[in-house]
Amino acid sequence: MHERSLVQTLLNQVQQIVADDGGGVVKEIQVQVGDLSGVEPILFESAFTELATECFSQDCRLVLDIVPVKAECRLCGQCFEVQDYEFLCPACGTGPVEVIQGDQVKLMSITVDSENLVSGAKS
Amino acid sequence: MNTRVISVRRDIQAEQKADAAAERERLGRRGTLVINLLSSPGSGKTSLLEATARHWAGRRSMAVLVGDLETDRDAQRLAPLVPVAQLTTGGACHLELPLVQRGLQALGDPAVDFLFIENVGNLVCPASHDLAEHLRVVLISTTEGDDKPGKYPKMFRTSQAMVVTKQDLLPHVPFSIEAVTEDALKIQPALNVLTSCAIDNRGIQEWCEFLEQQYQKKIESVYEPAGNR
Ligand SMILES: [Zn+2]
Repeated sequence: MHERSLVQTLLNQVQQIVADDGGGVVKEIQVQVGDLSGVEPILFESAFTELATECFSQDCRLVLDIVPVKAECRLCGQCFEVQDYEFLCPACGTGPVEVIQGDQVKLMSITVDSENLVSGAKS
Repeated sequence: MNTRVISVRRDIQAEQKADAAAERERLGRRGTLVINLLSSPGSGKTSLLEATARHWAGRRSMAVLVGDLETDRDAQRLAPLVPVAQLTTGGACHLELPLVQRGLQALGDPAVDFLFIENVGNLVCPASHDLAEHLRVVLISTTEGDDKPGKYPKMFRTSQAMVVTKQDLLPHVPFSIEAVTEDALKIQPALNVLTSCAIDNRGIQEWCEFLEQQYQKKIESVYEPAGNR
């Protein structure tokens, strides 16, 4: 269950990014999880629910976007969606393929409520 | 309500990956090939390392960092043969780079030819963590299912080699080397497949030769000898 450590990494980054951006109350965190990221979305969500309420407000939402695996053939350049984890180029069938999407956990965006900002924060 | 959206679009492990790449580069430049060994519990990582240490005794230098949930039994088995440090995760399901770096320090950061990281027995979580290895090797024993690659695609996709262990048990178990190879190659067509048996030493020479080839390919091109010290 390494989802906990990934969520902790995520939350640390969110805190840092929001602080650098002038602060505010975190309302929503959008995260992209690839099918080949090694992350189980349900475990990620439950770890988030547990850890985020410690860092942020009670109503901070996680929006998970699950993305399919895409790869590109290094021989013929064909881009394709990987089905059933078969990493074979459908065009030439021989080339080594490189994963171009779906093997990462990506922090996409953070929605912040700046209404209750304490005075002194940047506008 | 006064809300704003901060766009980030960044891999949350980008920093860890960069740290691992820097450590990999440092170890490579001073002549150490790092091998991350992964498998389910009981697949024979420690036995393979014992056989490797015996094969190379006096000819090649190696050290082992043993990741374990709680105990140091595997480390005790290896200690008479090679320098070994225990990395106890306290129940965590995978190793992370800072633990590996602490283990290296505990050994005095030795400039060995081969540094093995024996990861905790788990085919899921360790796949997502770069430990500065030059080579990721997944072990699968003949007592496991030969359909495992398809069940743990990330692990097999990110590995460069697969070692089928406990070859001696093949006549007694429903396991096919052809089937497991076919399953694994769909996920990683560039995977090197090896077989071994630590009891009668079958495949150990081929395994060691494979590691020496990898050493030549990945280390000798970047190795900068420290010179006369
Ligand atoms: Zn192609």
